[in-house]
Amino acid sequence: MAPELICRCRKRRASGFELDADLAIPLGEAAVTVLFGPSGSGKTTLLRLLAGLEEPDAGSISVGGRCWYDRSRGISLAPQQRRTGFLFQDYALFPHLTVAANVRYFARSERAERLMEAFGLAPLAGRLPGAISGGQQQRVALARALAADPALLLLDEPLSALDAAARLRMRHELRRMLVESGVPAIVVTHDRMEAVALGDWMAVMVEGRIRQAGPIQNVFRHPADAQVAESVGVENVLPGEIIGRDSGLLTVKVGSWYLQCVDAGDSGAVFVCIRAEEVTLSRELPHTSSARNRLSGRVRSVTLEGPLARVELDCGFPLMSVVTAQSAGEMQLQPGDELCAVIKATSVHLTAV
Amino acid sequence: MDWQAIWLSVRLAVSTTLILLALGLPLAYWITFSRRRWKFLVEAVVSLPLVLPPTVLGFYVLLAIGPRSPAGALYARLTGGMLPFSFQGLLVASVLYSLPFTVQPVAAGFAAVDRRLLEASWCLGVSRLATFRRILVPLAIPGIATGAILSFAHTMGEFGVVLMVGGNIAGVTRTVSISIYDQVQALNYAAAGETSLFLLGLSFTVLALTYALQRRIWPVWPLS
Amino acid sequence: MRAVERMLLIALLSTGCTRVQPRKLTIAAAADLSFALDEVSRGFLQQYPAIDVQTAYGSSGNFYAQIRNHAPFDVFLSADVEYPRKLAGEGLAVADSLFVYALGRIVVWVPAESALDPATALRAAAVRHVAIANPQHAPYGRAAEAAMRSLGVYDSVEGKLVLGENVAQTLQFVESGAADVGIVALSLAIAPNVRDRGRYWQVPMEAYPKMEQGGIIVKESAAARAFRSWLLAPGGRGTLQRYGFYLPVN
Repeated sequence: MAPELICRCRKRRASGFELDADLAIPLGEAAVTVLFGPSGSGKTTLLRLLAGLEEPDAGSISVGGRCWYDRSRGISLAPQQRRTGFLFQDYALFPHLTVAANVRYFARSERAERLMEAFGLAPLAGRLPGAISGGQQQRVALARALAADPALLLLDEPLSALDAAARLRMRHELRRMLVESGVPAIVVTHDRMEAVALGDWMAVMVEGRIRQAGPIQNVFRHPADAQVAESVGVENVLPGEIIGRDSGLLTVKVGSWYLQCVDAGDSGAVFVCIRAEEVTLSRELPHTSSARNRLSGRVRSVTLEGPLARVELDCGFPLMSVVTAQSAGEMQLQPGDELCAVIKATSVHLTAV
Repeated sequence: MDWQAIWLSVRLAVSTTLILLALGLPLAYWITFSRRRWKFLVEAVVSLPLVLPPTVLGFYVLLAIGPRSPAGALYARLTGGMLPFSFQGLLVASVLYSLPFTVQPVAAGFAAVDRRLLEASWCLGVSRLATFRRILVPLAIPGIATGAILSFAHTMGEFGVVLMVGGNIAGVTRTVSISIYDQVQALNYAAAGETSLFLLGLSFTVLALTYALQRRIWPVWPLS
Repeated sequence: MRAVERMLLIALLSTGCTRVQPRKLTIAAAADLSFALDEVSRGFLQQYPAIDVQTAYGSSGNFYAQIRNHAPFDVFLSADVEYPRKLAGEGLAVADSLFVYALGRIVVWVPAESALDPATALRAAAVRHVAIANPQHAPYGRAAEAAMRSLGVYDSVEGKLVLGENVAQTLQFVESGAADVGIVALSLAIAPNVRDRGRYWQVPMEAYPKMEQGGIIVKESAAARAFRSWLLAPGGRGTLQRYGFYLPVN
């Protein structure tokens, strides 16, 4: 049985915010778990509860079969006993200690020296944290946490303190360092791309609750509900109604169009979730009957985002599509153009209303 | 010049400052980080000497350490001595009297330290006590130094409390401020002026030296 | 301002006084006089209702220093005649008005619940602290020290001495239990709110130098003269005596 993190916690804040998290993470299978959600959804609070920096009002936390917290049994391990390597958003390096002293803070050990070498910190050993770059600070913080031989790493928005360029560079480096460390990690982020780049497993938190958890691709492909869909970046969340079911396929009426999708047992009124990337565009207008899931619509706007173009269509309802900037150029997309949007049946996900 | 009184005052001020650091740091820590609802009561008690006339404080202290009080009786049983009219008694009074002068700057210094640094240390498996010693104290040095200087200066200049509990014994409880007062009362204005001038010079030198040495650590005037 | 003064003048005249007198008399008095002087003033006011007597109590040495710096007192009643005498010598007070109003007496005082006998307390081995007023500037302290020397106990007591800033604080040291025994003024020991709290033994007068308590008029005025006369007349003397201020036999 793989070591599991099981957390069922409630915590109410004076502000009225309430966290009610029910979460199980197979730490053995998932090197990096992304705790994902919009700002203010309670991700940092959950991390602090896990680290023991705050105490829940009720509930229990156990990691790998060891109880860290159990309100009903009166168990509450101190942060020192839990041994979570906690990386704060701005790293919280000890400003009066050198890089080397920070890494050796838990203990002067061979492990600390090894990490200094492995993280390329040896040349910075004598510097103070204020005198090194943000990326270097992050490496120091991670080395410092790992030197204490933690059972679990908790990282709070680890890339947010970096500038945009460094953030892109560090994404993959951070993942590499986390995976190589062999210590399971939970990374808080609200950035979808960061989540995809860092994580194996993902838990989505909205308004203080864990709405969905699972392998990261599953969460992105099959959002459990409309709010998860919206927060993980499924741009198209449309109200629809199931009107037919035939040989494993469902027919859903959305606006004046009929879409087909895989039958997952839904019925009645649903939300139809389609990621913008799954909507392809074509100049060729649909033939009335032959093609499935081909919708005609008028271009409302085209927005370039680096290598991608975000195209907003009006198909009787708003439909978002993301195509490469290159193909957008080739098609010479202009607002007002009539286009055909094509969506594969397997890309249409339904969630209950 | 009453060198005996000056030396006594210096000894009293140094001892008071050391004891206040030992007592004041944990107390300031508690005041800074405790989330107890009745914390304000402790804060109010600690700050009382700022408001109370020294004579009131001295009056109560004399009663509290006298042989008829439980504390005084306990002290007599433990040590065979008595607190009133002794250096130790004066020390007790001075510590109480200067308590807010240590606790308030130190608590302000603690509060200015980013709490996440402490939390980071705890998560690294380092105990609260060691975190206090290795992170909080080094980062709160400006506040601690301010508290120590204020306590020292305040004790050097202390008069009312000493007058009330000291008993004016040469070499034991006759501090420099009492000596100056006696000289004035005895109409020895010249001697009083001499000792006063010396006290002024000494206080100024201590403060100026401290501020000069700390200038590198303090970017701003620490008393403001 | 002028109008106010004129009105007061009229008011004074209408009370039947034949001479215009100053309306306010400020007295600086040694602290140990407080009970006695309140009563003396009451008697004085019955005789001179138009005079508003205001009394400040404090340390004689402080008053001396203040008067040297021209503090606005009309009469100075010192615990020690030396201070008024010096003022007279320095031309800061009316020289011919110097007077002695009492001879100070000292007593050995112990709290009511003490097991000590005040007559022998100074010799008791169990005594840890003996409180006296500071001999450096308090007349009662000087008298106490002289008395202990002539009683032959000074050498054994010297190491036990604690000094009060004045006799009142000396008494408080003993009363609080911090000191076991004290030498204080008789007037204090028999003061209304002290009388029941302790027992005392009068130190024989020949054991210490005569402690002349004297006063002087600082600023000449009819009212000041009137007060001086009242204090030295039988009415004032009788009151002082009841409060422990025995008078020199003329």
